[in-house]
Amino acid sequence: MPRRHRTVPLLALALPLTLGLTACSGAASAPADDTDWDALSHDELVELAEAEGTVSVYAFTSRIATIEESFEAAYPGIDVVATDISSTELITRLASEHRAGSTTADVAYVSDAPVVVTELLADDVLLPYVPARVADQLAPEFTAPLVANRLSTKVLMYNEEAHPDGAPVANLWELTEPAWSGKVVLVDPNVRGDYLDLMTEMSLRSQEMADAYEDHFGTPIELDEGVEDAGLQFAVDLYANDAVLVDDTDTVNAAVGATGQADPPVGFTSYSDRRDNSDEGWALQVAAGVTPSPGIVFPAMLGVTAGAENPAAARLLIDFMMGDDSETGGDGFAPFYVAGDYPTRDDVVAPAEAVSLDELGGWSIDPEASAERRSAVADFLLTIQ
Amino acid sequence: MRSALTGALRDARRPIRWLALGVLAVLVLLVALPLVGLVRATLGPAGNGAWTDVLASPMSQNLFWIPLRNSLLVGLGTGLLSTVLGAFLAWVVVLSDVPGRKVIGVLSTIPFALPSFAIALAWESVFRNDRVGGAPGLLASLGVPVPDVLSWGAVPVTLTLVAHYFSLSFVVIAAALANVGGDILAAAELTGASRARVAVRIALPAVAPAALSGFLLAFAEGVSNFAVPALLGLPVRFQTLSTRLYGAISTGDTARGYVLSILLVVIAAAVLYLGTRATAGRSFATITGKSTRPRTMTTGPWRWPLAAVAATLVLVTAIVPSIVLAMSTFLRRTNRLDGGLTLHYWTGTSDPGIAQGVRGILRDPTVLNALGGTIALGLAVAAGATLLGLLGAHVLTRLPRARVTAGAISLLSYVPFLIPGVAFGAAFIAQFGAPIGPFPSLYGTFAILVVAGIAASVPFAFQTSKASLAQVSGDLEEAAVLTGASGWRRMVRIVLPLTSRGVVGGGVLVFVTMVRDLSLVVLLVTPATPLLSVMTFRYASEGFTQHANAITLVIAVISVTATLLARRLQGARQSGTTS
Repeated sequence: MPRRHRTVPLLALALPLTLGLTACSGAASAPADDTDWDALSHDELVELAEAEGTVSVYAFTSRIATIEESFEAAYPGIDVVATDISSTELITRLASEHRAGSTTADVAYVSDAPVVVTELLADDVLLPYVPARVADQLAPEFTAPLVANRLSTKVLMYNEEAHPDGAPVANLWELTEPAWSGKVVLVDPNVRGDYLDLMTEMSLRSQEMADAYEDHFGTPIELDEGVEDAGLQFAVDLYANDAVLVDDTDTVNAAVGATGQADPPVGFTSYSDRRDNSDEGWALQVAAGVTPSPGIVFPAMLGVTAGAENPAAARLLIDFMMGDDSETGGDGFAPFYVAGDYPTRDDVVAPAEAVSLDELGGWSIDPEASAERRSAVADFLLTIQ
Repeated sequence: MRSALTGALRDARRPIRWLALGVLAVLVLLVALPLVGLVRATLGPAGNGAWTDVLASPMSQNLFWIPLRNSLLVGLGTGLLSTVLGAFLAWVVVLSDVPGRKVIGVLSTIPFALPSFAIALAWESVFRNDRVGGAPGLLASLGVPVPDVLSWGAVPVTLTLVAHYFSLSFVVIAAALANVGGDILAAAELTGASRARVAVRIALPAVAPAALSGFLLAFAEGVSNFAVPALLGLPVRFQTLSTRLYGAISTGDTARGYVLSILLVVIAAAVLYLGTRATAGRSFATITGKSTRPRTMTTGPWRWPLAAVAATLVLVTAIVPSIVLAMSTFLRRTNRLDGGLTLHYWTGTSDPGIAQGVRGILRDPTVLNALGGTIALGLAVAAGATLLGLLGAHVLTRLPRARVTAGAISLLSYVPFLIPGVAFGAAFIAQFGAPIGPFPSLYGTFAILVVAGIAASVPFAFQTSKASLAQVSGDLEEAAVLTGASGWRRMVRIVLPLTSRGVVGGGVLVFVTMVRDLSLVVLLVTPATPLLSVMTFRYASEGFTQHANAITLVIAVISVTATLLARRLQGARQSGTTS
């Protein structure tokens, strides 16, 4: 919370300055920039938003279509234009539009937190907005650098048909042993950001990884030459144990989850994909409680674009997507109220069929720490393939 | 007389210089500027040491050198095999008396209309072993052990790409072969040369420019294709420059991705240079204004064996993947028969229990909207790129001595292939996203899609036009100059009709690639301009595989229809003008 109060005025100060320096259109957008959004009451915000009449959102999930419907039902005077696009494309597009000065989105719903921090926030492409209404229900890590409405995961999953008694793995280091040679599937972290974040977190949590090593093997870990920490050593050993790298998460899901396999692999994927089990004939289950952790938990974040044409409606949409005060978060949160996605609001009760965040034991990533470490990890991974 | 001729020719060539400058200016705007933007993004603080990282760091081996080796392997393999197969089929279809050659001709054009991942999936469904887990392929489930080398890596990647791109070489070479004058072949046979000798000494050299163009196209496509190496290469860590490039951009290391694509452009320039040198200084003119009726060769006892080989080829590459793709749209569960069959993904209404309530594609108004937009874009880009490609190729064949201009036009007309679509798209937003003088910002308009599409498709149009123009003898135009025909008139009355096969073929290739293309348009498309390829991508990335495949099939049907229509058109033109 204190953090929010520090960054917002700073950005508010910086923005007109840069606009004034780089373009002569600074004056036109000045009134919007002067608005103290945090001081507005909800009704005042709605009034301004309805005057704008439209809001455009780029989202990394198709579930935004449901939001479009429910938001328009709640605010009939405001038209939502939703574009569903992958996080990577979304980030590139926002940055390009920003440079060209032709921003078309007002709101971005985006998941690649570390990239957002380095590419969008650092260049003032996105601005934070934390609705005052929900600020007290959010832990500080969910309000900065951008507000997050839920957490998603990249965690170790196994096939529960082949392993009805629970996860076949209790400690991540087992995956580096001969029994799992060629039997661990993941998306190449050098191809996809969320998997790179997973590896980065292992490096950041190297002490835990070292402890887990000692737990399992009974001896302290010895690092290979040129390997900086126990997390990276895990990556070295995992790759050396013939880990199978693929190009997308669906491939991991099908490889791990497909029923009828005698000896299925395990793999890192999204816990929430378990919701497709009956649809796709999978038997995906999360390896909750693995030592030291089954993987990462990361935020899905909402930000306002710097050049937003509809700044009030943008903020109203973010407000809406943060959910209402009911136990399930209401209409604005409904599409994200599924097992494997975790609400950030402490007053929304997590969906019943999933293990709780505590039972899961996933590492919550710190986007800024991740951003700082991740390119070094990516570089390291490039050298060990 | 002689000086009068040279004088007239000199006068006639003067407008050509202006045309050359015009073409060059357009190419600079559409291709060089985005490329300069890429280079600038890799330099200085923005580049973040990307050049050193790629070329001289502990990562270089895995980031650049090994992927480079793999890319060249795949590119050369794809280029050579595609050209050989394409040339073989073109010969069977155009010059032989093999039974069923008409059908073979039609089927030969289909693989290019199918998305490369459909062919890769077909490969997987047969050769997949248990390396990745999940459901095994056909052979493995029959108990046949499949070695990794057949399931994953260089071999399946190259063969899948060949199965996709031989059709490109086929289209280009068949158009050229159809223009080889029957009289030349007949004359050769009269001298007592054997059929094989005629084929090797006359027909082959005559199609050399087309074969070279086909090779260059297939090479570039082989090097730049991302989907196939990602699907079939990654599980054994077979990385190519395109998978590395995609990875760099995806994980936020854009500068490194740009460096990789600039290096790709440099490599392509080298290949282009070597290719042109191989054929430099030789004339391939076979259209001389005399009789050009194609003539079929009798193949005697080889008729049936040849027919069998050709039929097997097109069956495996066109029919099997089409069936796999079509079948997958009827499966209730992705790629599994145990869920039963359904029409839901085509015509179903919204059902919350299936694919999160996404309705069948034929019931979705945005799909129909995207269909119209896609066809309009394909047509507009095909027209624009064909015109630009034709003018560029024309300038090149008529101004062989202006080496700098010709070299610049050749290179600029080729490199768009090798700039990753996403980067190209980003560069176009930077270039045309803001108002320029009196011109408004093009961002979010149909126009920016067309402009970017033309830039990205010039290689097809240019290579195919060049191959066709190289066959038209300069004598014809010179004769026309003497009659006082204007440059425009010569173009419309002589050059265009004689090259129509190649040009229409090129236009269709442009149309097909544009209808399928995703990476270029993904950043440029806004909700106001929906396209089918973007919808496929969205559905695929959400895991709605059947919806994605159904739209892919629609795209394939459009492409195949366009190809068939063009063939009819070419047939009509051919008999009407050059006999």
